[in-house]
Amino acid sequence: MDSHYLKQIQAFYRSHKRMPSYSELMAVVGFRSKNAAYKLVERFMQRDWLEKDVKGKLLPGRLFQDLPVLGTVSAGFPSPADEELTDTMSLDDYLIGNKEATYILKVNGNSMIDAGILSGDMLLVERGADPRDGDIVIAQVDREWTMKYFRRRGVSVFLEAANKDYQPIHPQEELKIAAVVRAVIRKY
Amino acid sequence: MEPPLTLGSFPRAILHIDGDAFFASCEQSRRPKLQGRPVVTGKERGIAASMSYEAKARGVTRGMRLAEIRKRCPEAVILPSDYETYSLLSKRFFAIVRRYTPEVEAYAIDECFGDLTGLRRPLRMSYLQIAERIKRDLDTALGFTFSVGLAPNKVIAKIASTWEKPSGLTAIPGRELHRFLAQWPVEKVWGIGHQTTALLHKHGVKTALHFARQPEAWVKKHFSKPFYQIWQELNGIYVFELVTGEQETYHTIQKVKTFTPPSGNREFVSAQLAKNIENACMKLRKYQLATERVLIFLRSQDFHDKGLEMDLSGPTSFPNDILRVTSPAFDDLFAPATLYRATGVILCKLSEASYGQLDLFGEVIRLQRLSNLYESVDTLRAKYGKHTVFLGASFLAHTHAQHDSERGHLPERQQVLLPGETPRRRLGIPMFMGDVH
Repeated sequence: MDSHYLKQIQAFYRSHKRMPSYSELMAVVGFRSKNAAYKLVERFMQRDWLEKDVKGKLLPGRLFQDLPVLGTVSAGFPSPADEELTDTMSLDDYLIGNKEATYILKVNGNSMIDAGILSGDMLLVERGADPRDGDIVIAQVDREWTMKYFRRRGVSVFLEAANKDYQPIHPQEELKIAAVVRAVIRKY
Repeated sequence: MEPPLTLGSFPRAILHIDGDAFFASCEQSRRPKLQGRPVVTGKERGIAASMSYEAKARGVTRGMRLAEIRKRCPEAVILPSDYETYSLLSKRFFAIVRRYTPEVEAYAIDECFGDLTGLRRPLRMSYLQIAERIKRDLDTALGFTFSVGLAPNKVIAKIASTWEKPSGLTAIPGRELHRFLAQWPVEKVWGIGHQTTALLHKHGVKTALHFARQPEAWVKKHFSKPFYQIWQELNGIYVFELVTGEQETYHTIQKVKTFTPPSGNREFVSAQLAKNIENACMKLRKYQLATERVLIFLRSQDFHDKGLEMDLSGPTSFPNDILRVTSPAFDDLFAPATLYRATGVILCKLSEASYGQLDLFGEVIRLQRLSNLYESVDTLRAKYGKHTVFLGASFLAHTHAQHDSERGHLPERQQVLLPGETPRRRLGIPMFMGDVH
């Protein structure tokens, strides 16, 4: 984990030509608390990966000055090392924003067929996200999940299918939006 | 006016967070049909493992047998436990708390402690506001409620999180502590069991406050150290540290499995025991441990346990070595006319596995061979599933379903497979269940 954080800090250093502040550091490694960032710094200082100047600002430590080791190469170009891949992300990172709130579900029915969502497709949905006009949402209607476009007209909201055979749903009482659809996956 | 026990509000700020009816809530939150209805999990064990608040309101309690539940609450929905999903959600629970503080103790699958001390300034919030934010994040991300307690130490944080349930948020600052403890029965304090309660009652101590007000010398004289520490915490002192980090080692490893219907077939029961031993050894090797003492037991249909404990000639982490010793013991235990419902094994005296020490009898070479063999076995299992290869001794336990009755029902998630998933391997993302129209 630490080496992963180190790589992210190194990437910041390379692109900005300076070290991050504590709040930037939080954003870089994905922490929500400064205390966590502070502890990380303390840990890295112990290993000489980071240093602090007299004012407490971060300075690059030993690992930042070392030449990158690109594996042993007998001849020709060095093999592509992780070094080149720090700015890429995994499919998981690409598809999933709030990891702890993301769920999967399987579509059944064709109410969103004109939005290109077919029966049998998998959806990645984010629970508790605030829906915006035009988002595809998972709502709870009569103790069932339903997937529709979320429409906002002034103060009133309603749900609309992407299929002309379905009528829009105008909620009588409170509309329970469980989640917002973030991605559709179809595996062939 | 009673004087307070201590003057500082939060010399330390410790959170205790408890998922409300955790397993049942995991089920309700992913399936709208179950919301507002009595839901009970634990079908595969034949008893209630967790019940929703609707089920609790109808008198269903933890450990109640299924037949009894159906009598009291015929409309109850009884589900087999889906530990895979519960574990995924539990990991999310801890990850969300770690967004705010790196010091988190995952105390159980459905509860944790967190240390917020010193975070007011960096987060620009009061301790109570941080606790509120954590609760809000948990409630929205997981789709069910959590109860949160904020206090100067773990023992009081436990009281705070139980103070109001479900979905409570209770802060007990040191200054107010005595008001809360005055209303708290001493037997409900974390760590105080039946024996200690009886002893306290003999001395006329009924409430937590009464205990906290006892003189230090009296407590030290009558109780052992853990209870003295509880007494200190009840006085607002921070004693019990948070145990952060993953569990890395075990003192004992235990595997017990029930099967239905109960069986009097010697080969079948023996295969069940062998399977437990194999599984226990798998866990041993995972943590690079070896065992020197083994306890096996058989549980009869009428819930009587009969067991035997035996020492091994040296530390091992391979079922072959253990079975050689337990087979004759099993023959002693097994009574032909009895029906059995469960077998179990407990591995004790665990130590770090190392097979380097030379000996006179060529043991090292034999153990090295076994070690190579099981390295391959474990690789195969990791790749193709846990029960790809197993010993002949446990064959009958693998070819029969564990339960012939309704207790053998699989969790729904194991039946709704996505393209590319197999019954043994699924995506590590919890799923919304039920039809999506």
